[in-house]
Amino acid sequence: MAKLGEFELLVLLSVLRQGDTPYANRVREDLEAHARRRVTRGALYGTLDRLTEKGFLEWTLDASNVPERGGHPMRRLTVTPDGLAAIRSAREVLDTFFGGLDQLTEGA
Amino acid sequence: MTPRPPARATQILERSLRDDPAGPAIVGDVLEDFVRRARDHGEASARRWYWQEVLRLVGRRWLRGHVAGADPRPSRWRAFATDAVHASRTIRRSPGPALFTATVIGLGVGGATAVFSVMKPFVWAPLPFEDPHELVWIQNEVEDGEGSLSALTVRSANLYDLRARGRSFEALSGFNAFFDHAAYTLTGRGEPVRMAGADVAHDFLDVLGVRPMYGRSFRPEDSQGDIGAAPVLLTHGLWTRLFGGDPAVVGSTLALDGASREIIGVLPASFDFSSVFSPGISVDLLLPFPVIADGDPGFQGNTLYLVGRLSPGVTVEAAQSETDAILNALGEETPGRWGLDAALVPLAEYIGGPFRPTLFALVGAAGLLLAIVCINLSNLALARAPRRAREVAVRKALGAPRSRLIRELLLESVGVGIVGALIGTAVAWALIGLAPRAADMNVPLLDTITIDGGALAFAIVLAVLTSSIASTLPALRVVDGSEAGTLRSGSRGQSSGRRERKTREALIVAEVSFAFALLVVCGLLGRSFAHVLDVDLGFESSDAIAWQLAPSIPFETAQAAADHFDALTDRVREVSGVEAVGLVDALPLGRNRAWPFSVIGQPEQAEERRQAFPHIVDAGYLRAMHIEIAEGRDFARSDAEATDRVVILNESGARQVFGTQSPIGEKMKFFGPWEWEVVGVARDVRHVGPETSAGIQAYFPIAQMRGFHTLDLVVRTSLDHTVAAARVGEALQVVDPSMPVRETWTLESTVDRSLSTRRFTLSVLLAFGVAALLLAGLGVYGVLAYSVAERETEMRIRMALGATAAAVATSLFGRTAFLASVGIALGAGAAASLRGVLEPLLFGVRALDPVTFGGIALLLMALALLAAAGPAGRAAKSGSALGATE
Repeated sequence: MAKLGEFELLVLLSVLRQGDTPYANRVREDLEAHARRRVTRGALYGTLDRLTEKGFLEWTLDASNVPERGGHPMRRLTVTPDGLAAIRSAREVLDTFFGGLDQLTEGA
Repeated sequence: MTPRPPARATQILERSLRDDPAGPAIVGDVLEDFVRRARDHGEASARRWYWQEVLRLVGRRWLRGHVAGADPRPSRWRAFATDAVHASRTIRRSPGPALFTATVIGLGVGGATAVFSVMKPFVWAPLPFEDPHELVWIQNEVEDGEGSLSALTVRSANLYDLRARGRSFEALSGFNAFFDHAAYTLTGRGEPVRMAGADVAHDFLDVLGVRPMYGRSFRPEDSQGDIGAAPVLLTHGLWTRLFGGDPAVVGSTLALDGASREIIGVLPASFDFSSVFSPGISVDLLLPFPVIADGDPGFQGNTLYLVGRLSPGVTVEAAQSETDAILNALGEETPGRWGLDAALVPLAEYIGGPFRPTLFALVGAAGLLLAIVCINLSNLALARAPRRAREVAVRKALGAPRSRLIRELLLESVGVGIVGALIGTAVAWALIGLAPRAADMNVPLLDTITIDGGALAFAIVLAVLTSSIASTLPALRVVDGSEAGTLRSGSRGQSSGRRERKTREALIVAEVSFAFALLVVCGLLGRSFAHVLDVDLGFESSDAIAWQLAPSIPFETAQAAADHFDALTDRVREVSGVEAVGLVDALPLGRNRAWPFSVIGQPEQAEERRQAFPHIVDAGYLRAMHIEIAEGRDFARSDAEATDRVVILNESGARQVFGTQSPIGEKMKFFGPWEWEVVGVARDVRHVGPETSAGIQAYFPIAQMRGFHTLDLVVRTSLDHTVAAARVGEALQVVDPSMPVRETWTLESTVDRSLSTRRFTLSVLLAFGVAALLLAGLGVYGVLAYSVAERETEMRIRMALGATAAAVATSLFGRTAFLASVGIALGAGAAASLRGVLEPLLFGVRALDPVTFGGIALLLMALALLAAAGPAGRAAKSGSALGATE
């Protein structure tokens, strides 16, 4: 299975967090608001393309009724089973390394 | 209403996403954010954001080869752009050195850009006339190079005949070279105002291709009949100043010297007569000047400057030989007719020519400064090279090609160069600001000097070039170093070896030699300036104020004029604080003219070649100017129209005309039937300029010379200028209430103006010189400091083997002195080779002046040793610290 970078992991997680509206703009807002980093549009689209190539993400074009989009469709993002597996595996690695470090890693 | 994004941006975005299946959704994403932003921050800000967002997105996709239709393989341009992005990131990561480099570039480029802008109107910008390359300037030939104006001007009859017989010129016209000897008084518009009017032949403007902005040009009939009532053209300056730019003024009248004159037109702003033809002398009006045949009534002597437009295909040489032939024929037809000379030069050459030597000196100095900047930056980059070498070695080991690494390093320097260009433009702006205003300087076209788009482009090209040249050598060093060695050697490069040190020492030598040459130029011009200041002008310029007086009363006789002027000076003499008062038709360092003369009892050989500079003065002038009488007597009021004609010569004149004999009692002839008896000899006055010898000068009493009704009043007083101006002005108006008295100036300001070109050149050169000194000092310091840091181990070992701290320091000083000496010797050679360029600018000092050369050599040597002191101290200290620890 292909490797998952840190930003790629965040993107996959954010897609999962969107529930009904897993669209690029919402993912970007989520990352900017909660991952404490500036996400340029180009970087996000690049990552989406890469995740799709790796088989972790799929998308379809949906008609959109959001008036601001002027009739343009939306890209509905779905994390694939491979994507979910990659997330789990990344978490296991992290858990292993965080294990026993609670006192150091949790704030005072 | 839903805000709409810029359509062009959307188009660009859609086109770049043409082949992307997610394209429509991406366009929708950007659009959605645009609408929200417009709602929160306003539409204008959202539109700006939209453009940025689109360009960033499209740019990124292009770099990655994602743009529709793009070749997916990395193209040369794409690779180039990626490198540019990488280079800009490198600069942003450590902006300090980049900013320092840009500032140093800015200094050098700023100097060069200022010089570029100053040169432009003289060297390549076309004159502000139609087809200026067809225009030629025609004046009498001058033999001594110090000719006063009458030797240069052309007789108006020559213009008349050349027009009639010549075929080389499409048109030929001229203007009265002595227009500034007379002033006009404008009345009827509040307080009387003095006006300067230039007299031009009716077709003068047509020859130049200048058309009035409003109204019409002169016609032949305007210069016929009563010239005193002829119509006038307003300059753009006067029109805005006096009439608030009202076009309806055309057709109305002006009261000049009591006569009503019709305003027939307004000149365009692009045609500034004074800026081109009479720099330093303001012109308010143009008046028509009659051009009539020799001997006709109203004939005006040797008074014109001619400007001609060559017929298509005719060269200046061809026109010159035709003109010579016509003048020869005229001489044969009318034996005894004199003044039949004409020298033709392209108009642009005539206007710009005299300033070429100054400009070449400035160009040379700017070039030297730029060379110093290049060397300095090369050195700096070399010193930083080991740090860069490590990063580069890593990338090389990972397979980055050599060409790409070099390109990236050069791109970095291009970025720094562009910042340097911006700093340089600001520096140029400041330097141009040093230039005095046009009215204070006898330099033509001064008002047209600006930092424009061309100058900015020049600055950018030069700065990028400088930056690239400076970084080429270090870039090659960095890229060609052995990666294995660099990677092993830790974060700072180890002793970089003999070859490297030799390179840096060679750069020091070059830097010192360029700095030496530049400073010698500064030194020589500085000494010349000091010599010019030391020149005895022959009169006392401090505590003296001047007015140009144009009485409102017409005079029947010379005696009547003299009586009126006596009444004026008597009144002024009574003003408290006034020590002396005098009158003259032309104060020194101002207007200019010459009259031919002969001596009774001396053969009349070469009469035309003997010309004297005339001054029409009252009995108080020489005393008021502190011009001493060396022999004989001064004028008195008893030298009247009815008494014998008397003249005072200057010392040079007396010597040139009468040799060692006393001239007192000798008789001379100027024009007219009178014989003038020499009654006195006055000390020489440098009339044309401090650098021009006095020549033959003759003083005549006002009462014995008709037709001089505009005179300069000089008042010697220790009063403050404004106080004196008010008191004297009041006194003058008691005698002549409608005479303008507002405009006054100090003799010191006149002297300053005569020095202004020299002072400006010197101040620019001094700025260059100081920059060169600083850079040379920094350069020497930088190289030595680096070399000490680098050789620390070697020094420790030497001290451990018994060398003392003093010996280590001495060896460093010795090396520095050696390098500086070599640099000075090379620089002396370079400075000596500039002799040809410099000689025309020097005064009282030779181009190989040993004092200047020696002084600059000492200065640079002292600077080099001073720069070495810090590193030498550190070297000694590091050695002794080692002694303590081991």
